Amino acid sequence: MKQYFKNTWEGLYTVFVGMKITFKHLFVPSVTIQYPSVKVPLPERVRNRLYVNMDDCIGCDQCARACPVNCITIETVKSLPEEDLGKTSNGKKKALWVTKFNIDIAKCCYCQLCVFPCPTECIYMTDVYEFAEFERNNLIYNFATLTAEEAEEKKVNYEKMMAEKEAQKAAAAKAKAEAAAKTKKDENSSENKIDKEKDSE
Amino acid sequence: MKKPEEIFEILKNKFPDADIQIDLETPTEPIISIPPKSVHNISLFLRDEEELLFDSLMCLSGVDDANGEKIKQEDDSEIIKGGTLSVYYHLYSVSLKHKITIKTSADRENPEVESVEPIWKTADWHEREAYDMFGIIFLNHPNLKRILMPYDWDAGYPLRKDYKNPEFYKGMKVPY
Amino acid sequence: MAIKTEEMILNMGPQHPSTHGVLRLELILEGELIVDVIPHVGYLHRCFEKHCEAMTYPQVVPYTDRMDYLSSMYNNFGYAVAVERLLGIEVPERVEYIRVIMGELQRIASHLVAIGTYGLDIGAFTPFLYCFRDRERILSLFEMTCGARLLYNYIWVGGLSHDLHPDFVRLTRDFLKDFKPTIKELNNLLSYNKIFIERTANVGVLPLDTAINYGMTGPNLRASGLAFDLRREDPYSIYDRFDFNIPIGEGTHGTVGDCWDRYYVRVLEMYESIKIIEQALDKLPEGDVTSAIPKRIKPPKGTIYSRVENPRGELGYFIISDGSLNPFRVKVRGPSFISLELMGELCKGHLVSDVVAVLGSIDIVLGEVDR
Repeated sequence: MKQYFKNTWEGLYTVFVGMKITFKHLFVPSVTIQYPSVKVPLPERVRNRLYVNMDDCIGCDQCARACPVNCITIETVKSLPEEDLGKTSNGKKKALWVTKFNIDIAKCCYCQLCVFPCPTECIYMTDVYEFAEFERNNLIYNFATLTAEEAEEKKVNYEKMMAEKEAQKAAAAKAKAEAAAKTKKDENSSENKIDKEKDSE
Repeated sequence: MKKPEEIFEILKNKFPDADIQIDLETPTEPIISIPPKSVHNISLFLRDEEELLFDSLMCLSGVDDANGEKIKQEDDSEIIKGGTLSVYYHLYSVSLKHKITIKTSADRENPEVESVEPIWKTADWHEREAYDMFGIIFLNHPNLKRILMPYDWDAGYPLRKDYKNPEFYKGMKVPY
Repeated sequence: MAIKTEEMILNMGPQHPSTHGVLRLELILEGELIVDVIPHVGYLHRCFEKHCEAMTYPQVVPYTDRMDYLSSMYNNFGYAVAVERLLGIEVPERVEYIRVIMGELQRIASHLVAIGTYGLDIGAFTPFLYCFRDRERILSLFEMTCGARLLYNYIWVGGLSHDLHPDFVRLTRDFLKDFKPTIKELNNLLSYNKIFIERTANVGVLPLDTAINYGMTGPNLRASGLAFDLRREDPYSIYDRFDFNIPIGEGTHGTVGDCWDRYYVRVLEMYESIKIIEQALDKLPEGDVTSAIPKRIKPPKGTIYSRVENPRGELGYFIISDGSLNPFRVKVRGPSFISLELMGELCKGHLVSDVVAVLGSIDIVLGEVDR
């Protein structure tokens, strides 16, 4: 019986202690905010949407290789020797046309591993965090500055150049082969050689 | 406090018939290998022996050694024939504060290892996981069924090195 | 004499608010008494171990974040320690101190969630809000340092991704100063509340020998009365330099190892974490945090099992390296995985309403159970 009353008293008393604490909090400034109208200021290192500054990109593919979820796809075409692509802001010479630079932000896990290896610091995370879309395909961001036709043109140019080079090489190889006809070098080996050269390009 | 080498000597003396070996080559931790069919006896000894008292099993992991013959399939995938699947036991003694690593290897075609579930209850789910992921059969396990994968997953054991994703699971397309 | 009736099977989850994620419990009941509880897991299986085999060592770090999403920092920490032992490299002093500070802040944040949601499970809503208010401040400290609030990718193999923010030390000290009275407030609000005690004391008692046999670690094991803490037992990083106590369950309101003990050990551990952080902040040396990060992580052939004291218990990484850039096998021994296995044992003979109390007290995170 005594225990029963003791328990009742303790139950009431400890609840009262708790109530006192919550009551005190009535007079404490609130810690919540009205989100869409009020926003928390973000710190400078914040990691949200990825952005690529294409003026500085040299198409080195390092960010794509660092990405653990493969959300970055880069395709490049070599420029012709007479073309000048300009320089990046930290003085690196560009040598590749970036024909495709897609980031599938829906796959991105915001780990920032792509940011660190970039030699020109052109890929970075911004403080934009509200970018929901109705279509999933809209989340694939295309950063390449070249239009599809331009990209095609560059590709054709490059292939033309390569073809010319190869023709020259083939001619040279042929001449060589003819000169060394006595050693009976068959056509295959020279073709292999060309292939090898192509690979090493 | 005993070193793995000393524990190995004790085991060797206690079980002269079993094929027990120690691998000191590994840079970080020596590994004692035991045959899969004497796991229960040796584990029981390790737990109850006065000077060893390994009362807790820290971790039990299945491993696909992928040391068999690799056969190329038509669709460019590989399957592995022969070789072994291994189970690693990491034991720790709470009272004596020493630890060892034990390894046992079973044939890939018929991977049967004795269960240690009656000795350390921790092993219950760990063994189910190893069965789920590698298809290692633990003899005398009371409830050996899949744990992380669906209970009726019939496309093989996912953590094996030659595992191939199925096209469909119950009529649902698997790769999204 | 009780009448023997047919057993009833009741499903709890996967979409139950008290299961802390997606977990299905199959309750086998006799009337309102529990005969057995069978957990069904795997709803959150994301193939962590399979993924690792296709990743390079640094790329695994963001994946470890996503296992135990309430203590990401510690998962990073454990992975970094394991790979560093495999590589045999030393990291600079400053890195070690920052890791300890971050790890302990994470422990406080994780325990705050554990305590808050436990109150919520039992039926107390207010402590949850107070806990999350304080946790927000810790998350803001993390965000200031590495840019993310939940999935940090901060502790790398051999170093850290960023150095501390210039204001970090000051703000952390401010936080700790404000936080100490809050724990006291929390105690008055929840821990010593008679209703709370009635719900948790003498419920789900875990005897010590069962706990060890089941491989229980962390606060759950300590609540059963054994002062076993890997920070003391098997020191990694620089934990041997700090002075802290290991709180154990004493059975203040019931039996040693009941739900209240498990809960209260977490409260006391927050005090110890504060102590460690204060000591670390005092001694924090200057230096470079990225200098020891290897350019290419290519460990020698071999195996390692390395364990750290996660907020929930022993987090072990078993890594096999075959000498290439990708790990051959990564196995994670998660503390929640082990704790959940004990559910059946703990709930036997209790009432249905106690299942929630027991499940909350062992503090599981399903992301880590299923990996």
